[in-house]
Amino acid sequence: MIEFYVLAFVLIASAIFVITAKKAVYSVVGLLLHFAALAIMYLTLAAEFLAVIQLIVYSGAILMLFVFVIALLSSGVAPFSVGPNRLPKIAVPAILTVAVILAFLIYGVAHVPAVAPHGVGQSALVNGTFGAPNPSVAQTGTGSTHGPVGAANVFGSVGDFGKALFTTNLLPFEITAFILMVAVIGVILLAGDAAPYVQSRRRARIVERDMREAILRAGEE
Amino acid sequence: MGVTGSYPVLFVIWLLPLLGAIAIWAFGPQLKRFAGVLGSAAIAASFVAALVSWGIATQGSGTQIGAQQPLFTWLQGFDFGLLLDPLSLIWVLIITGVGFLIHLYSVGYMWSDNAIARFFAYLNFFVFAMLTLVLSDNFVGLLVGWGLVGLASYFLIGFWFFKPSAVAAARKAFVMNVVGDVGIMFAIFIIVTKAGSIRFADVFANPHALDPWLFWTCVFLFIGAAAKSAQLPLHTWLPDAMEGPTPVSALIHAATMVTAGVYLVARCAPLWSASHDAQTLVGAVGALTALAGALLGIAQWDIKRILAYSTMSQIGYMIMGVGVGAFTAGVAHFFTHAFFKACLFLGSGIIIHALSDEQDIRLMGGMRKRTPVAFWAMGGAVLAISGVPGFSGYFSKDQVIYGALEHGYAWMWAIGLLTAGITAYYMLRLFIVTFFGAYRGDMNPADVGIALRQAQDDQSHQGAMIAHETHEPHAQDHDHAPGWIMGVPVAILGVFSVIAGYIMIGPGSPWARFFDQSFPRETLPPTAISEAVTTGLAIVMLIVGAAVAYWRYGTRAALADAPARLKRESETLPAVLVRLYYWDDLIEWLFVKPSQVLGEFFGRWMDPHFVDGVVREIVLTNRFLGSLMRSFQTGLLRAYALIIVFGAACFAVYYALEGAMR
Amino acid sequence: MPHESLLPVALINYISLSLVIFLIGVAGVLLRRNPLIMLMSIELMWNAANLLFLAFARSWMNNAGHIFAFLVITVAAAEAAIGLAIVVVVFRARANVDVDEVALMKG
Repeated sequence: MIEFYVLAFVLIASAIFVITAKKAVYSVVGLLLHFAALAIMYLTLAAEFLAVIQLIVYSGAILMLFVFVIALLSSGVAPFSVGPNRLPKIAVPAILTVAVILAFLIYGVAHVPAVAPHGVGQSALVNGTFGAPNPSVAQTGTGSTHGPVGAANVFGSVGDFGKALFTTNLLPFEITAFILMVAVIGVILLAGDAAPYVQSRRRARIVERDMREAILRAGEE
Repeated sequence: MGVTGSYPVLFVIWLLPLLGAIAIWAFGPQLKRFAGVLGSAAIAASFVAALVSWGIATQGSGTQIGAQQPLFTWLQGFDFGLLLDPLSLIWVLIITGVGFLIHLYSVGYMWSDNAIARFFAYLNFFVFAMLTLVLSDNFVGLLVGWGLVGLASYFLIGFWFFKPSAVAAARKAFVMNVVGDVGIMFAIFIIVTKAGSIRFADVFANPHALDPWLFWTCVFLFIGAAAKSAQLPLHTWLPDAMEGPTPVSALIHAATMVTAGVYLVARCAPLWSASHDAQTLVGAVGALTALAGALLGIAQWDIKRILAYSTMSQIGYMIMGVGVGAFTAGVAHFFTHAFFKACLFLGSGIIIHALSDEQDIRLMGGMRKRTPVAFWAMGGAVLAISGVPGFSGYFSKDQVIYGALEHGYAWMWAIGLLTAGITAYYMLRLFIVTFFGAYRGDMNPADVGIALRQAQDDQSHQGAMIAHETHEPHAQDHDHAPGWIMGVPVAILGVFSVIAGYIMIGPGSPWARFFDQSFPRETLPPTAISEAVTTGLAIVMLIVGAAVAYWRYGTRAALADAPARLKRESETLPAVLVRLYYWDDLIEWLFVKPSQVLGEFFGRWMDPHFVDGVVREIVLTNRFLGSLMRSFQTGLLRAYALIIVFGAACFAVYYALEGAMR
Repeated sequence: MPHESLLPVALINYISLSLVIFLIGVAGVLLRRNPLIMLMSIELMWNAANLLFLAFARSWMNNAGHIFAFLVITVAAAEAAIGLAIVVVVFRARANVDVDEVALMKG
């Protein structure tokens, strides 16, 4: 009970810090804190495996990537916000929109059913007694019960998750592998070899200049 | 129909001219004048092939007559093929025979024209088209040939395309001919619907299958015939068509193409025999055209235009003959007319050539000495066309006139006789003014009554200037063709003009026997006036017409006083004849002017205000919508993100409200 | 009856928390001009969604939510990699990464 509110406070505070920090590297620190708190919250939700994944992938991999990029871009020239803010007017409507959404969503969320609507992967524990799997959802859900941590039949454990991932959801799992591969190839193509991009940088300047002139001409007409 | 099986020689007759045309088209620049020899050879070979086919074309009986060659089947009821029976044989022989002589003559006439190869390509193409028309064994094939000869005629009238008048004449001829094509098309629609077949044999086997549309089929067919044969009211293109080179006038606009209407009526004889109303209509149009053309011939001064109106008049005779049912007589007149009219045109071509393109007979005179071949040949032809006994026109024209009476049309008979007298008058007028007296070409044109010559001269001068640039100069170079090349064909045609009639004397003549099987035979009641009386009256009319002409132009005093008399006549000609019955003005007023007004309306108002207006509104609307859409394309990443958030917010609001409603 | 007894607090708390974090992420994307911080804000939004998946999975005792969260993490990793690569490339071409300056596609 109390841990939820502590964690919620940490999460919101760190999130606000992320988007308000002056320097990106401070944001990274805030984000690190955020991810750590989130991992703890996952543990309270009986998602042990995902808590670990959260720490390893987000804190370990993605944030490190951010740090490297910041280090790369911060060397020498001042990279960020060189020009005027071209979107000053959106700040007010954006915040207004956010406020409206917030109001509406909280109003609507109050009506969200806490149980799954009928037919949407209903829980095996629908009748409130553990250990009595509902045969109608045995193939879609887990049919797991509380038990020792790590055991295959415990909800949210590594065994439970792995079983679901490699049997029922094998195809989505393979697709994630494919997505990651595509991402790797894409990154290599985009940022892999600098030489073509020196050229393309020059080309981009020319293109940009031509287009500016074209836009100016169009404006004059 | 005809001899079962096939007769491939028809391909030779039919396609040789096309091969010649293609070869000349392809190798024209290399062939140059040799193109004329090649073209003439193709036609001559075709003529020989037609002669060879004489026997097979005339054998058989009833509807089973002639040689045929199936080509292909298109749809059910659309069997195409070639057919050579006595009727088409006569036309093929005239087309290729007279055509060959005119080709030969053209070699000389077009000798110094740089575009001689193009000329012969067109000419050969015309012969091919005309053969398509007469050899086809069905209505659709006939229509194809019908259209192609119109196209060839268009090419050849507009051959000297640097002359604006020639281009205008070509266009006029083409448009008027298309009116006729559409008429035939309608007739074919009726035939296909009612008879289920387009073959002549099937349709003619039972003409009454077309009832109750039989009369209208004939009318539509005759619209085509009238347009092609320059019958009232579609006659005005023919005189203008004289803008083409003279051999073209001789071949297309005298001997062959313009008689296609006669061919069509004769070919469809069973239809006409079955519809008495149609016979009356066609006969009446023919008779009126004969008279109208002859009257117009009186008032013309251009030698080729006189001959053009005379052609119109003579075709009126033929149409009258085939219209009333005297098919043999109508075709006979076509046969003799082909010789004497081609001869007249080619002879006038010699004169025009000798006078460096002068065509006004008031500026001629005394040509007897300068062009003796033309004098003798045209002399024979004039006697023939006038119907002097013993000359070819006498036999055929009498048959036509008497045929009208025989079939019960006394008033056509009277018109025929009257026209015979007028014909004698204007032909003799042409002959005397051209060949006798003193040469007037070096006189001031105003002294012989030629007004407004200046403007015309300017125009033709301009044309000549262009001609100088595009072609070899016409009159300048002295590289003239050998004289015989133009003289011999004229002489041959002259001889035929004189003798061609001797095969058609009396009912048992070779001519009548030739067509024994072709046309429906009918027994006619004896007429009140015998053929001998008709002949006698015709001779009287001839003498009267000739005497008037002689008295006005031919006496010693008249010849001596010729310039003054011609001037006086030019000034006193009845306006209604000079203006061609105001027919062109009427067409101008009825069709051309309204079309122009309509065009003005569409061009000045409809297009800029309505059509362009709609387009402009569409453009403006799209530009407005585009500017709206463009305002979203700010290029700013965060603006796009905002739009996405807004869209997501809309979904969120929707689902939140939906959840609250539930 | 819902099995909120399995959750430390009522489900509505998780939903509200997730929503707040998500909207903080949205605000970061809209208001910041530093592309790195924008990418981090996007990560915040991913994580808010993940939190919701896990809360519902726990509430309904259905580990399909875990699978979804796993997929989200994968896609987020890919997205971060590509996004950072784009930032690097843009920096190479322009010597700065101000997102308001990268506006060639203006209509």
